[in-house]
Amino acid sequence: MAVLPILHHPDPRLRRKTPPVERFDQDLQRLIDDMFETMYAAPGVGLAANQVGVQLRLAVMDCSDEHDQPLVMINPELVMTDDPQEVEEGCLSVPDIRDKIRRYNKLRLRALDRNGQPYELEADGLMAQCIQHEIDHLDGKLYIDYLSSLKRERIRKKLQKAAVAGG
Amino acid sequence: MANPPPNLRARAALAVAGVMQGSSLDDALAAQTAALSAADAALLKAIAYGVVREHRLLETLAGSLLQKPLRNEPELQALLLCGLHQLRAMRVPPHAAVGETVAAAPALGKPWAKGLVNAVLRRYQREGEALERGLPATAAVRLSYPDWLVAAVKADWPDSWRQVLAAGNEPGPLTLRVNRRRGERASCLAELAAAGIAAEAVADAPDAVQLAAPLPVEDLPGFTAGRISVQDASAQLAADLLQAEPGQRVLDACSAPGGKAAHLLERVDGLDLLALDSDAQRLRRVDENLRRLELRAGLLAADAAKPSAWWDGRPFDRILLDAPCSGTGVIRRHPDIKWLRRESDIPRMAELQQRLLRALWPLLGPQGVLLYATCSLLRAEGEEVAAQFLATHADARELPIEAGWGEAGSTGRRIAPGGSHDGFYYARFGKTPGASGS
Repeated sequence: MAVLPILHHPDPRLRRKTPPVERFDQDLQRLIDDMFETMYAAPGVGLAANQVGVQLRLAVMDCSDEHDQPLVMINPELVMTDDPQEVEEGCLSVPDIRDKIRRYNKLRLRALDRNGQPYELEADGLMAQCIQHEIDHLDGKLYIDYLSSLKRERIRKKLQKAAVAGG
Repeated sequence: MANPPPNLRARAALAVAGVMQGSSLDDALAAQTAALSAADAALLKAIAYGVVREHRLLETLAGSLLQKPLRNEPELQALLLCGLHQLRAMRVPPHAAVGETVAAAPALGKPWAKGLVNAVLRRYQREGEALERGLPATAAVRLSYPDWLVAAVKADWPDSWRQVLAAGNEPGPLTLRVNRRRGERASCLAELAAAGIAAEAVADAPDAVQLAAPLPVEDLPGFTAGRISVQDASAQLAADLLQAEPGQRVLDACSAPGGKAAHLLERVDGLDLLALDSDAQRLRRVDENLRRLELRAGLLAADAAKPSAWWDGRPFDRILLDAPCSGTGVIRRHPDIKWLRRESDIPRMAELQQRLLRALWPLLGPQGVLLYATCSLLRAEGEEVAAQFLATHADARELPIEAGWGEAGSTGRRIAPGGSHDGFYYARFGKTPGASGS
């Protein structure tokens, strides 16, 4: 397993809609393992494949305190959403920044597991928030798209400065 | 997605546990609030200050709620106290206080304790009133002070010790010092009023303005421009008491963070002021403060008790010795002092204060004035130090302080904490005419 480099906003690869996963082979299993390791190391609660430069509709998540509830979402879609609320959010591709946005507090997810088997689950709270965040990634969207253009511009400048400073 | 925002109650518990393990509340809070929004940091601080202020009471209460005491669980213990404080004294909705505090247990790495935290807080909700009535009626528990400090304050303030201790539990007001070089107090009050900030003049401190409610100082009109500074009214008395005149040579012996030095420079033209502090890091704060106010002074990191290492032999017209002390007079602003000080610190502090007075006295010119100050409640660091100094220095006499504030003692004047004032002690000395040096 390996920790992969995470792309940072404004990398154009974060802005493409990812194509569905069609092949459930050894390479895919290795990618999923590496993504979990990368996510836990970040540390984060979710990671989409295009955040590590792989254009596939795949994300991994674990919202538990003990890192014992790993979840793989392949070709995910939302079949129900309810109860929009203001929540604070941050993204591994937009480091050291957090802000409040609106997310559904309840939803129903349909997706494939790492072996290509379909499943559905209902989620609320942090898990529901994270599912929406990762599906946005797979659609080429970032949570900062929901902020005012003024805030978004400030964030872009800050990250550019950090990237220059970091070499 | 990045990790969710950290649980504020868990962070407050870590800050409280840090204080009880010997860290200052300022340091413990800085570590826990660094990455937080202003609103989150404010809530965290409100919880942590409240718990540290009432730590003994809350701990006693928690003891009566637990079936067996927690052993070697300082963070979890602190978390329970944070939960109790929110239920007792904060305007946090009870369900949020309980829910968020329970959720903090896993964030402290103790998911097994969720049930315990939940049970304790819910029991308090059901039986709190009866349990509160059953607490020991002693001042040490009810007002949350260590036994030794209650005994010391009782001995030194026999008629008002209860008020003195209670005043230490009321957060002090935010008091500003108006920079006379940049404007009058009246215009500062007008400016605050125009900004919708309620404030009033403090009667016995001519440059002091007290705000009705605390605010972040950076938000106040004129702070960054150096028109105002933050300083308690008791500390602002020093500038007048020193009676400095234009062009005089002044020593501020324990200067950091430099508030009193800055006040002197704002008030009196052309002072040749040397600001000394033994701690080079803290001396930087003096520099920052003076720069913001565009004032000039000599800065020196040196030990005031060893003038042979730094004094050029030219006498000072004025010496301000704002000596290191227990800080028991400013407990309302620094509640951690209750738990960080030990009884054995007091004689050590008094010895240091004596040593500083003895060392600096020969540096004072024949017409000079030396002002001795501490922010202590205790005679051992005030009146007794001053009296001992007079008794052992034939060439020293007291220059009595006539004032409307505080109360005169056998030597000097002390101020009880409360309202506009921190607890303080001042004594003023001059050279006895005709006496030879000591």
